[in-house]
Amino acid sequence: MRSRTGVPADTVWQQLSEQAAALQDIHLAQMFADQPDRFAQLSRRAGPLLLDLSKQRLDVRTLDLLGRLADARDLRGWINRLFAGEPINHTEQRAAMHWALRVPPQQTSPVQQQVQEQLDRMTRMVERIHARQWRGVTGEVITDVVNIGVGGSDLGPMMVCRALDDAADDRAVRTHFVSSMDGSQVSHLLHQLRPHSTLFIISSKSFTTIDTLYNAGTARAWLQRALGDDPAVIGCHFIGVSSAVDKMEQWGIPRTNQLALWDWVGGRFSLWSSIGLPIALRIGMKGFRELLAGANQMDEHFRAAPWTENVPVLMALTGVWNTNILGIHAHAVLPYDGRLKYLPAFLSQLEMESNGKSVTRDGEPVPTGTCPVLWGEVGPNAQHAFYQLLHQGTEPVTCDFIAPARRYHEVRHDAAAAELIGQHHLALANCFAQSRLLAFGEAALPPGEQLPMYMRYHGNQSSSTLLVDQLDPFSLGALLAAFEHKVFAQAVIWQINPFDQWGVEMGKQIATETLELINGGATSSSMDSSTDGLISAVAAASAAKDL
Amino acid sequence: MHLDVYGDTLTALVTAAALSSTGHQVTLRVPAGQVADELNADRMPYQEPGLELMLDQQQQSGRLCTGSAEDMPEDRVEGVFLALSPAAQPFAESLIDQLAARRGHSWLVVNQSNFPVGTTESLQLRLRDGADPGVDRAVICMPEMLQEGAALQSFMRPSSILVGCDSDWAEIHIREMLRPFNRLRDVMRLLRPREAEFTKLAINGMLATRLGFMNDMASLADALHVDIEQVRMGMGADPRIGEAYLYPGCGFGGMNFSRNVMSLADTLESSGVGSELLEQVLLINERQKEVLFRKLWQHYQTDLNGKTVTLWGAAFKPGTGRIDNAPALKLMEALWAQGVTVRVHDPKALPTLQALYGERADLVLCDDPYEAARGADALMLVTEWKDYWSPDYRRLHKLMAQPLLLDGRNILDPDFVRSSGFVYYGIGRQ
Repeated sequence: MRSRTGVPADTVWQQLSEQAAALQDIHLAQMFADQPDRFAQLSRRAGPLLLDLSKQRLDVRTLDLLGRLADARDLRGWINRLFAGEPINHTEQRAAMHWALRVPPQQTSPVQQQVQEQLDRMTRMVERIHARQWRGVTGEVITDVVNIGVGGSDLGPMMVCRALDDAADDRAVRTHFVSSMDGSQVSHLLHQLRPHSTLFIISSKSFTTIDTLYNAGTARAWLQRALGDDPAVIGCHFIGVSSAVDKMEQWGIPRTNQLALWDWVGGRFSLWSSIGLPIALRIGMKGFRELLAGANQMDEHFRAAPWTENVPVLMALTGVWNTNILGIHAHAVLPYDGRLKYLPAFLSQLEMESNGKSVTRDGEPVPTGTCPVLWGEVGPNAQHAFYQLLHQGTEPVTCDFIAPARRYHEVRHDAAAAELIGQHHLALANCFAQSRLLAFGEAALPPGEQLPMYMRYHGNQSSSTLLVDQLDPFSLGALLAAFEHKVFAQAVIWQINPFDQWGVEMGKQIATETLELINGGATSSSMDSSTDGLISAVAAASAAKDL
Repeated sequence: MHLDVYGDTLTALVTAAALSSTGHQVTLRVPAGQVADELNADRMPYQEPGLELMLDQQQQSGRLCTGSAEDMPEDRVEGVFLALSPAAQPFAESLIDQLAARRGHSWLVVNQSNFPVGTTESLQLRLRDGADPGVDRAVICMPEMLQEGAALQSFMRPSSILVGCDSDWAEIHIREMLRPFNRLRDVMRLLRPREAEFTKLAINGMLATRLGFMNDMASLADALHVDIEQVRMGMGADPRIGEAYLYPGCGFGGMNFSRNVMSLADTLESSGVGSELLEQVLLINERQKEVLFRKLWQHYQTDLNGKTVTLWGAAFKPGTGRIDNAPALKLMEALWAQGVTVRVHDPKALPTLQALYGERADLVLCDDPYEAARGADALMLVTEWKDYWSPDYRRLHKLMAQPLLLDGRNILDPDFVRSSGFVYYGIGRQ
């Protein structure tokens, strides 16, 4: 396929493979020895983010070539299509306009007016709750808010709430998250809360998500047992966030308690929309708007910066290089900050649900690999878990190290600040030491006698480091938008649609049939022998318990 | 002796009147504010039997005069009394600093204010800072124990006088100042300053706890269809309990019960000490301030938008125009948030309310209680002013849009109110 800008993609792939062959035998330690200014050459800044690619197994020529690959795949054109609101989610005939959620309020297209209108509604709700004037059905003040959602309606808000704990509004109420369909979270939570002062947010774009509706049903029954089944109970204790107004209505949520979103917001891109209500409840609308502003700054950077200066594009192309050229199919996300505890889970969804595809936009099988297996954990804790494999295992793994440069400068840490800053520096030291050891292997150690084999570090494991000035709403917005655009840019290179998720639909349908069998206590053979066998075992266990 | 009294509290006025009546030469210095304004306009800010008369007599005798609180005591003054409001701690500190700056002057400062525990000692450190050698200086603490309604009596014929004092020189002087009030037998009890302050805190805490407990009982009584008034009288008859401070109601206000006063001073706080019980008592009280709102909210099935509600009483207690921490404030804010128009009558607090909230469409201040009730969907009795004890029910019934009466002080007879055609809700009684 010949692109608009010249060199055909196949040619560039070929050149990249040749590059890789040339670099193949050069250990990262050697690259640093050969190029003393690697950091200067291979690190970039965008707003509050510093991206250090110098510990990747590439050089500036690689980046140039990768830029040519982006051109060959017409990344510029696709970015324009994304921001023009074209229906680039072609399998669902939808646009993907999460960026429109964070455009500053001055712009007034019809879409922008809708966005601002929902933000205004959200503001009124947040203000009322923060003023301690949202009342339960008995007139009690709401003190606890429970977000019921799953996937994008859960991971995004939960991850951001946790990450921005230090930016919490003084008037913030307690927020809780419930997602798991088996009811274990909701049952645990309901034991601790008072129905009189608890408000639930049912967050579901389609308002048909079975996990969420079951959890919401359990919550509703819990409230009604304590407070009666007057419709006012739902009116006082539930807010709905969905694009399906009629379904919220049917469920009993009054208009005044509804927040809308649109089919042009994908679930995993939706924390910027009304789905972000728990975030606004945690950090206030001022903080929420700063989060949006940080993301908007990254949007503008992504649209304008040339490839070799473009942080999200460089993140994407580095990933392509590692996956497709170096053949590394595992990627670890390692934040060195406990507040980013849920970031690995969030990014697993963002990247794997978006780019875990094997069919191109033209309906052909993708000829190359796509999204690697991605997982992660708070870095210092992971050091005591799976780092062994990173350092001495047989599988190559690339890593993203993520850390804030500054921490504990907020007023609230006043008294313990000195000790906590000490702990932060300890975490940073570990972060830098681990990426160094992964890259350099034994070369990072002081010279000495030969170590026995089992104590040796082969090194040469690639990693990127993302340093954020400090973890505040603005910089977190920029960081998350950078990952969103990374995902989009990779999808363009791989020629796939990152905005659909057909792979998660079929399982839901089969589960519906299976549920009937389990509820019916079926023992007869109707599915495969494995499923039949498991269902009968459940039936036997239930019967035994009833005796 | 020449004595100066700084403060705008009831204690300040009583102290000034009582001391001058026994021959001391007293200058009363009232800081600018509502109390000062009323005194200047020749009105009594506190309704206390005999107080106004005694203040007049002492002024006529020439032994009591008034001065600006901005000015320092003259050189001949031997004792300075501080009977300030809890919020005036910074004022006290700056006053002490200015006294301290007069290096050769000897000072006895008597702190009667409700400041956090430890304040007297820290004021004494400030006062002694930089004094010339050999100059006697002390800040002692004499917590006010006035019984409202009998304030003069309780100052001049006290059953006990608590004095927190750690200096012999100061003891000699305070004994001399108060000698006329301590004749029959010596009722002066000397403690360390922080012990005296703590005793006052413990008394306030005990009273608040009794009220909190009764409000808790009232919520239960509501649920169990028991009349809390019967329970209250039954409890009060037990001599181990007694009758005082057993009245359930829609929350207490005032400065003496504020969180600030209930907490220990910063100097002590670093030890991590805090009272869990008092924290809970104050929390229960904050909840209790909204009890009438909750009853109204349930009565109208969670929809109050566009309704009109009348408040009788806004002051935190009868006899004062003060609204510090008053339940009425929380009630009004809760009502406004639901789109309710609030009409308020209070014999004294309307100017303070006006100053706090300014002009707003959903606040109507009425000089006449019946005018306030016009068109109302509910009448809430919040402060038990004597004016409200025997309302003209027929007139109210005609004026109000809905005959709904919420009695936040349990001063009306539920059966009589009902027989007059009203729906009645009390605190712990129906």
